[in-house]
Amino acid sequence: MNVRTEQELTFTPKSIRRSWLLGGLFFIWIALSKILQGKATLELPVPENSAFTSWAGDVADSIRGNRTDGVAFKYFFNPIREFVDGFVNIIREFIAIPNGNSSIPVLGWLGVISVIGFVVFAVSNIRMTFAAVALTFACGALGLWTDSMDTLAMTFAAVILSLAIGIPIGIWAGLSNRVLKAVTPILDLAQILPTLVYLAPLALFFLIGPASATIATMVYSIPIAVRLTAFGIRGVPTSPVEAGTSMGTTKRQLLQKVQLPMSSRTIIMGVNQTVMAALSFVVIAALIGAPGLGKPVIDALIIRNVGEGFVAGLAVVFLAIMLDRSTSAAITKKDTFVPPSEADRKRRKLALIIAGITAIVGIVLSRQMAWAAFFPEQIDISKPVADASDAGVVWVTENLELLTAGFSKAVTVGVLNPLESVLANSPWFLTIAMISLISLILGGIRSAIVSATLLLAVVATGLWYDTMITFTQTIVATLLTMIIGVILGVWIGRSVSAERALRPILDAGQTLPAFVYLIPMLGFFGPSRFTAIATGIVYSIPIVVKIVGQGIREVPVNMVEAATSTGSTKWQLITKVQLPAAKKSLLLATNQGLIFVLAVVVIGGFVGAGGLGYLVLLGASKPELQGKGLVAGFCILLLGVMIDRIAQYMVARNSAPKQ
Amino acid sequence: MVRNKKVGAKASVLAAAAALLLSACGGAGVDAEGSAAPSGDAAACGSYAIAMHAWVGYTASAQVITEIAKANGCDISQVTLAEAGVTYDAMESGSVDVVVEDWGGGRWQEWADRGALVEVGENGNIGLIGMFVPQWMADEYPDITDSANLNKYADLFVTDESKGKGAWYEGPPGYTTIGEKMISANELNYTVISTGSEQALIDVFTKAAADKTAALGYFYEPQNFLAKVPLARIKFPANDWTDAEQASGLTDYPESPLMKLATPKVMDANDAFTKIVKNFTWTNADQNAVAADIESGTDPAVAAQKWIDANADVVAGWLK
Repeated sequence: MNVRTEQELTFTPKSIRRSWLLGGLFFIWIALSKILQGKATLELPVPENSAFTSWAGDVADSIRGNRTDGVAFKYFFNPIREFVDGFVNIIREFIAIPNGNSSIPVLGWLGVISVIGFVVFAVSNIRMTFAAVALTFACGALGLWTDSMDTLAMTFAAVILSLAIGIPIGIWAGLSNRVLKAVTPILDLAQILPTLVYLAPLALFFLIGPASATIATMVYSIPIAVRLTAFGIRGVPTSPVEAGTSMGTTKRQLLQKVQLPMSSRTIIMGVNQTVMAALSFVVIAALIGAPGLGKPVIDALIIRNVGEGFVAGLAVVFLAIMLDRSTSAAITKKDTFVPPSEADRKRRKLALIIAGITAIVGIVLSRQMAWAAFFPEQIDISKPVADASDAGVVWVTENLELLTAGFSKAVTVGVLNPLESVLANSPWFLTIAMISLISLILGGIRSAIVSATLLLAVVATGLWYDTMITFTQTIVATLLTMIIGVILGVWIGRSVSAERALRPILDAGQTLPAFVYLIPMLGFFGPSRFTAIATGIVYSIPIVVKIVGQGIREVPVNMVEAATSTGSTKWQLITKVQLPAAKKSLLLATNQGLIFVLAVVVIGGFVGAGGLGYLVLLGASKPELQGKGLVAGFCILLLGVMIDRIAQYMVARNSAPKQ
Repeated sequence: MVRNKKVGAKASVLAAAAALLLSACGGAGVDAEGSAAPSGDAAACGSYAIAMHAWVGYTASAQVITEIAKANGCDISQVTLAEAGVTYDAMESGSVDVVVEDWGGGRWQEWADRGALVEVGENGNIGLIGMFVPQWMADEYPDITDSANLNKYADLFVTDESKGKGAWYEGPPGYTTIGEKMISANELNYTVISTGSEQALIDVFTKAAADKTAALGYFYEPQNFLAKVPLARIKFPANDWTDAEQASGLTDYPESPLMKLATPKVMDANDAFTKIVKNFTWTNADQNAVAADIESGTDPAVAAQKWIDANADVVAGWLK
């Protein structure tokens, strides 16, 4: 997204009128909701189905009944499942599970580490190689070698399949405007879709197991591959393309010789992002039978074992850093255009050969020697790591209880309950009317129509009340996220050293699966809505901080200098110049924050937050409520689209050129 | 074209490595010295996956079966899954073979009708679900254990989460729960608070017992936790569960024998595992003993083995 330099700096009469209008509207809303409290809330008791959800349940039943004989299953879903299962298992047999009659995979631990070391060395440098080897070894030292390898295998399988589908579509979308237009809405949708939503439907078609997990991961990661590939092809400067065309090259030659090579950097970035997306799916995929590191995390959540969950989460982070840094290193390497000298190349070639021989020795050893095949059990740092994190949580629970309990109570009583009474416990038509009016004021007529339509669709499903419960939690969590996120974002936007200090924490926060910190949150706050909110905040803060920081940094220097020279204080500079100038980034951050929060608030169903996420979980385990669970997933989707659309229209309206 | 040459060199090295790698794969394996699983009876028993559920009692049962099966040459893996639908689907897809403790009387019928799984029989444990308060409340308010008096005490149970009514902590999503029906059938002034996990319930009760605060929540037997933190069960009007008509106005959880389920693959194999799954049965006391060891930090495999060693004759009987 290109950031415009000329921004709306002062509040125009129009925007002042708008805020008065909003204020008045809120006042009327609160007053009306007080009068009509508890009427027409459409609350549906948890064990009951609405007409629509019981219809959905019947459909699910008939799909299930068709599994063995149905034509669609026989010739479409089952072959796909068998193919994906087979593909995943081939990769798993290489590194994770016993291969054929052998009791070990094709590669023992030393072999895997050797191959990783060699590949990383070949695509980047020696420092990265040591880091990658150390990180992989650390997964084993955490006592999770097999699970880590399973995760690695699942990630690779999903990434290979995603790229095989995503890159061709991306190239096509890069070359044709029509295709790009056709796929963009689908890509948007796939990216705002909280992951929990499509697990149940996929399991219905592809059953529980690695195939469902892999396909679920692909739903999430293909859009990223498509988007970045198309973006790369489109980013190729027009002059080489025109030169090629004028010389009479065919379209195919043009693609092969000009467009693809010139966009290879962006495409590799797409590979990197696809890998990260696939890896971020590890834990949630365990819910539908994915082998790997997700399993210990889910187990730990169930028995609320902070230490075990943290150990497994740490292994996920290690794998993420390893894969992220080595693919990024490949990009940077592509950037160096200085041709290496003859001597350099010779040295490099020799180094590669030595590395190759070392790797082969490692591989052979891992197939011949037990010590190189099975990760040594003596090397196990999981206990001290688990104990340390347990101790940390116990310390917080014991010493900061007044603080955590006080904060949780303040938010629950002061914000959550009042907002819930306005949104969920007022008549549904009042809520729909008010939300539509607000989006009319904020985003214009189209955004109002979209909101009203989507909300009416929610009413039709029968899950209005639960949707509003989830919406309330999403709003509260986003508000808190934005308060904290903007403060930190301004800080890192203004100070390079702050950026440097926070960066690793933000990166880790983005890769650590939300389930991992859901576990201690449950210990801090008990089964409550606040537990879900707190988890949502932790999950979405990194992205908000990064976007806000970027926005602040991009405020033109001359604007800042002008303000400083006229004697503005630091506070004035931030509030009157930098924040207004970064308005578009703030809006974007809010949009992203909302989407991220929504994705996590729904997993709050695991910790007593109720709402749609709870219904999704309930539907997965109670056959008579399966339809309700599926429809709840659909409502999460509607909610996500609505939030995203309002924010998009707001961004569009705020960046429209001034008259 | 310097760059291209370099890439070419790299590619050729990679290709050579791959070729060597493949030839290495064709070589001998570690099997000779590395094989950990006993291979003697390999022909006598197949390879199976046992579903693992969230509660420690389940772990106890599943682990005992796992250890006996392994000792008899079966290749056993354990797959962690949510209860019911998810697990039945997994059985249909073949990724899970056995459930050792299912609480939901007959909810698997649809899958059984399709031939995805078979109801093997009772596992000997009797499950009793109920609503409980910490013992101190029963001591202080003796009539609280009668459901008719719950409304009188509702004020004690109000929290920020419970909308001005009493908080009714419900079992986790995967468990058999009828809280809302109980509340409406008995016209109770309570709000259901969903808890995500059994551990959250344990936290609630532990805290309530330690701080002498009020808590009303879902719990069940057999569960070793009841030996550590005594809870008092609320008595609801009896309910005749044999009468479908009446069961729709459910007022209390019945005692239910817990069931074993297996895939046709297990039932048809007729190997050691089939026998173990068919014959395994033990009491609530047996399960609690093993569960207590696991909870106090013993490795589940070790805890199970301890029970097996102490009950060798029982185990021998299962294998006949």
